[in-house]
Amino acid sequence: MIMSRTDEDFELELRTLPGVVNVGLMRRDDGDIENVCLLVSGADSAATQSVATQIASLYYPDATVSVERAVGESSSSFRENNRVALVRADYDTSEGACEVQLAYNGRMGVGRAGSGPLIGGAEATLAALRDLGYDIPFSLMTVTSVTNGKDWPVVVTLRSLSNDADRFGIARSDDDMVSAVKATLDSLNRFLSTLEGRQ
Amino acid sequence: MGLGESATVNVTDGVRTVSKERESESVMSPGPATAPLPDDDGSISPSSLTGQFYEPWLFQTMLSHLSANELGVGFVYSLLDLLAERHHLDDVVVVLAHESFGTQMFRLGGRPLSADQVGRLSSTPGVYCEPDVVPAIESDAVRTACQLSLALHLARYSAGQDSLTKINNRRSFDAALSLAAANSARYGWAFTLVLVDLDDFKAVNDRSGHPFGDNLLRQFGFALRQSVRKGDTAARFGGDEFAVILNNAEGQESAGFAERLRSNLMASGNFIEFSTGSASSPRDSTDADEILHLADTRLLSRKGSRR
Repeated sequence: MIMSRTDEDFELELRTLPGVVNVGLMRRDDGDIENVCLLVSGADSAATQSVATQIASLYYPDATVSVERAVGESSSSFRENNRVALVRADYDTSEGACEVQLAYNGRMGVGRAGSGPLIGGAEATLAALRDLGYDIPFSLMTVTSVTNGKDWPVVVTLRSLSNDADRFGIARSDDDMVSAVKATLDSLNRFLSTLEGRQ
Repeated sequence: MGLGESATVNVTDGVRTVSKERESESVMSPGPATAPLPDDDGSISPSSLTGQFYEPWLFQTMLSHLSANELGVGFVYSLLDLLAERHHLDDVVVVLAHESFGTQMFRLGGRPLSADQVGRLSSTPGVYCEPDVVPAIESDAVRTACQLSLALHLARYSAGQDSLTKINNRRSFDAALSLAAANSARYGWAFTLVLVDLDDFKAVNDRSGHPFGDNLLRQFGFALRQSVRKGDTAARFGGDEFAVILNNAEGQESAGFAERLRSNLMASGNFIEFSTGSASSPRDSTDADEILHLADTRLLSRKGSRR
């Protein structure tokens, strides 16, 4: 994305307005800005909109300005991205091997398993979590694919190594292996959240 | 099945179940390897540091950007583009903090962030990626570069700007006048300097208070910006005095400018009477000081005649 000096100064000027935390510039096909979206936190959004409209009229007289008020901006974590994320799930049909890549907080974990896409997906997920540095005190019990629905959900059961309690996870996608990986992560959902909080 | 495990597969009524029993696994917790490994003699060689404390691609981008442009908001977006390209990211947001700005968020491609999305974002400075695959050392380097870039842009912007009226300050004006005069002397390029003085501004300030006076100055600055053309320079000269350099203009254009200014002030609802004095180059002089002196003398003479 290449910005002209004028657009850079325009955006900077908008960002200097009280309470503005984000500026989005929506462009037409010819590159001119048609809408300016401001996100405002803790300031008089009507006053900000009025000044921003004045400023925008100097740079792009046809541009409209919209202001949205940020809510809950005091959240202390970026919850969505602070979770274990699936990066890649590959099944090598020639070797019958699964490889899963997970990410958490900028770190990568890779797990491999020499089974089919269902068990292999779940196994490789557990291995990838361990590669990320997690202690996973569970063993894989069952991987179930329900094949009579429109989409095929996969249910994964894990058993605790310490007290035999079972955990279940369910996920659905158009790929068996991805479903197995996501169901495994789903079964560990709360457990991982606790660990993530500690890391 | 591999891994020495036994499994049974049952398919009944469309339900395929794979059951598996195996020995308990040993628990592994390798932990992320972030520290450089020492050599045999216990020292850490430069090669073991490569890529861990410094990102060559980032450094290279910064240098190439600096050769063509100055670091600023545009550079932040360029970095987010490159980061997304390198790691095949769907989305990236960088959260920065600045003592003047407070929290600032930049999203890949300059796309707007919704209130809902911001509700899920931390106000802690950092680079937040979707998927979260960028190594911490790299995202930290990108955040630092973005932070530096934003700070430089603001410093550059503030250094040449009057904080109240958001137009050029005296320092910028002096530089612009020197350049215009030099170009006029060398190439014969014409320009007109117009000095503008608000009439009875002190009385307005005394009568209605400083906040009212400040707002009037702010609105006057905005009207000036509205009234000049692209390429012209509008500046706050000091107190209630303003200066405008009209490029490619020699004489007549200053009257048109004064009319536009008057009309824009009327439209803003914050009208205040003003006086102007102008001088043109190369017609009157090509020396910056002389042009300024001439415009000032004409301004004073006009103000005197109005009284």
